[in-house]
Amino acid sequence: MGEQRQRIEGQQTIGGVADAAACPVPYSLSKSRGYSLAFASVAVALGTALLLAAQNFRGVEFPLFLMANALTVWYAGFGPAIVALALSGLAFNYFFTQPFHTLYITREDLPYYVVFLLFALLLTWFSTVRRRIERDLVASRDALQKEVVVRTQQADLLNLTHDTIFVRGMDDLITYWNRGAQELYGLRADQAVGKRAHELLRTRFSISLDDIQKELLLTGRWEGELEHIKADGSSVVVASRWSLQRDEQDIPVAILETNNDITQRKRSEEEIRELNRELGKRTVELEAINKELESFAYSTSHDLRAPLRHVAGYAELLQKNTVSVLDDKSKKYVLMILESAKRMGNLIDDLLAFSRIGRAESRKSMVSLNELVREVRGGIAEEIAGRNVAWTIGDLPEFYGDRSMLKLAMLNLISNAIKFTRTRTHAEIKIGRAEGPPDSIVILVKDNGVGFDMKYLNKLFGVFQRLHRSEEFEGTGIGLATVQRVIHRHGGQVWAEAVVDGGATFFIALPSV
Amino acid sequence: MSATLGRILMVEDDPRDTELTLTALEEYKLGNEVIVTRDGEEALDYLYCRGAFQGRTTDNPAVLLLDLKLPKVDGLEVLQQIKSDERLKMIPVVVLTSSREERDMVASYKLGVNAYVVKPVDFYEFVNAIKELGIFWAIINEPPPGSIQRR
Repeated sequence: MGEQRQRIEGQQTIGGVADAAACPVPYSLSKSRGYSLAFASVAVALGTALLLAAQNFRGVEFPLFLMANALTVWYAGFGPAIVALALSGLAFNYFFTQPFHTLYITREDLPYYVVFLLFALLLTWFSTVRRRIERDLVASRDALQKEVVVRTQQADLLNLTHDTIFVRGMDDLITYWNRGAQELYGLRADQAVGKRAHELLRTRFSISLDDIQKELLLTGRWEGELEHIKADGSSVVVASRWSLQRDEQDIPVAILETNNDITQRKRSEEEIRELNRELGKRTVELEAINKELESFAYSTSHDLRAPLRHVAGYAELLQKNTVSVLDDKSKKYVLMILESAKRMGNLIDDLLAFSRIGRAESRKSMVSLNELVREVRGGIAEEIAGRNVAWTIGDLPEFYGDRSMLKLAMLNLISNAIKFTRTRTHAEIKIGRAEGPPDSIVILVKDNGVGFDMKYLNKLFGVFQRLHRSEEFEGTGIGLATVQRVIHRHGGQVWAEAVVDGGATFFIALPSV
Repeated sequence: MSATLGRILMVEDDPRDTELTLTALEEYKLGNEVIVTRDGEEALDYLYCRGAFQGRTTDNPAVLLLDLKLPKVDGLEVLQQIKSDERLKMIPVVVLTSSREERDMVASYKLGVNAYVVKPVDFYEFVNAIKELGIFWAIINEPPPGSIQRR
């Protein structure tokens, strides 16, 4: 106990983790002051008793000394109380019991001393009990303070997070509201605490509250999406997590609700859904257009060819039957009809072949371009019989693609080279690899033909675009468009270089796999 | 010579195509061998000896030249009917059409067509194609038993 009294009263150690037993007791005095109090109180009691005795008041000295002792034991503790008791006894004996001014105790005075001693001991005992109770109280108060500090720190930490966290009782009354909640809902803690959460936030549940409560009681937690209304009236969609707190008796006491604002995410999701819907609609429209095109191509194939065949057929019969009666001019007219019909037939065929490239499913396999070129050359051998063509065929790679489509592209390029070198006495055609980006295969087809003007390059690969007059070089203007379409379908590129009357070079670049 | 007898049964709705085809076949004196029906229904009537063709001998033609686009019953339906009938399935059927469409070709072969010929626009080619067809199917090819014999 002496150690406790060394501490000065009122020295609170908030946040310090002090041992409860070492805690200072309020109202207790330091050791020296305690003994001073003992001396002073006994001295005051003695002085007062002597003064009163001088005024002939008798019998007050005993309670006065008791008061001095009580005061000392109350404020200064056990040690000073013993001192005060001894001093009081001596003073009482010396001044107030006969024989006066001696320390001799007569027999009849003995009960006084015994009662005095017992009374003083009783006081001391009461005081000690009081002190113990007081110490316990202080200890528990300090423990409580410590707890408060820790809790406050935790609450401060919860405030640091940007997540929205609040706690509500089983009656839905909010008991805790962090800064994240204030930021999200625009409501301060003092505006929220004590209010009913679902009323305050006008919660809209995606599933019924009963189901949520059921799950919460069963598993102790619930997760889902909720819609809340902020203080400014705007709505917010949150990903909500609820955790149930139970006390020692396992009775639910509170719900911790953590919410994350997913309004933006929901909006983006909705936008994506909307875009997908739009895309789906466009796809359906495109499919419809494609179907229409397909049926158009089909009827073109069927319906246009029949009358054309008839024009050609009857013109042919006319030519045969009138060979002896028609003059040269009329014969030429019939010939023109036949030629035109044939040209139109070719146009329709080419156009259909071109549209088929766009529609046909590609069937991919490893294709040897060397083999392909060999086949194409074999197919046109008859056409170039009698012409002087010098071929330079380099080593060509293999490529993963649609064989028939690639063959069509090569056929068109090689036929073009043959066609546009027709005016040359020595036609030179070179097919080989060319330099290109590392992840692609580049092939060139070069001729020494009539070439073309580079300013018309943009028209070169267009459908029905021709850079030569038809009486110079026949053609439908579909060939290079077909080449481009085939190469594009393979994810490649086509381009060309040429000089008027100086030959042309066509490049196709295919992505290497 | 009976008007209802022919070794080549042609199903063609367009009279111009019919005329041109007959002209082409005539060069090989095959014109008289041809019976022309104008749609799928008439063709089936001929094959089943019913309607206008009641009372013809029940022998099958040596070859059937079939257009695909026909009024009433179209070519593919006629083909399906023929190839699913035990009595008729042996008749060689040649589809002769303007359509170069892959789906028509695939559908025809799936139904068991014997040949598929796209009518060439060019008259020479057309005549040649018809002539070759006529010669092959009506002269060179041995028709299945039960076919109308050559006159």
